[in-house]
Amino acid sequence: MARLLMFHGRECPHCKKMMPIVERLEQETGLRFEKHEIWHDEKNQDLMRSFQPVIAPKCGGQLRVPTFLNVDTNDAICGEVDSDKLKAWAEKK
Amino acid sequence: MKKRYWRCFVCNDVHYGVAPPEVCPTCQVVNAYIEITAEEARKFLGGGPDITFTPVDFRQAVERFTAGNEFVVNPDQEKVETLLQGIFENEKNHGFKYCPCRLFTKNWEEDLKLVCPCNFKIHETYRGVENGECWCGLFVRRR
Repeated sequence: MARLLMFHGRECPHCKKMMPIVERLEQETGLRFEKHEIWHDEKNQDLMRSFQPVIAPKCGGQLRVPTFLNVDTNDAICGEVDSDKLKAWAEKK
Repeated sequence: MKKRYWRCFVCNDVHYGVAPPEVCPTCQVVNAYIEITAEEARKFLGGGPDITFTPVDFRQAVERFTAGNEFVVNPDQEKVETLLQGIFENEKNHGFKYCPCRLFTKNWEEDLKLVCPCNFKIHETYRGVENGECWCGLFVRRR
């Protein structure tokens, strides 16, 4: 199974909205997202920055949240996405 | 064009820009600005009056900022409250009112673009979008 990461911010409304969608998707499909809060955890900040070359080109040149990252395929999407789109992205080989 | 720091020699107003204002907006003196170093600017800014700028003050400031503009503060109060909380948490923890929906990179020039309000009019979530909004959603296009 691919290693999937979700970067989110505690005070980011889009992240708050996505969290239950992600959790439901996890329950329904068995997919797992490693969740990393980036504004209150320095290690998570460094982790997200380490993927800047992958994330930024897909996210308006910036490190935006929420960001979903597939470490195995080096692919990322960011922002609010519906469950079907996230599932299709996560299952993409 | 490179931005530089300027200080009004009368009232110590500090301006950051390509050129200084002709008239000081604080004391109204004409041709009062002299160029200073970034370090000197920091000293003046840090040594200013101890004004507590609360989230309520900031909310009022962004409301004034939107007046007469093509955008308004998001009518979704809950979203705005969450964002203001994040903006002030970021200022407390990281020194600036960074957008809660983006991460600073530690590149000073790049990170200045993340300070709220940012130049969201160039973002793909706003420019040319009928119901456009800034990335975090604090500002939405006026309808």
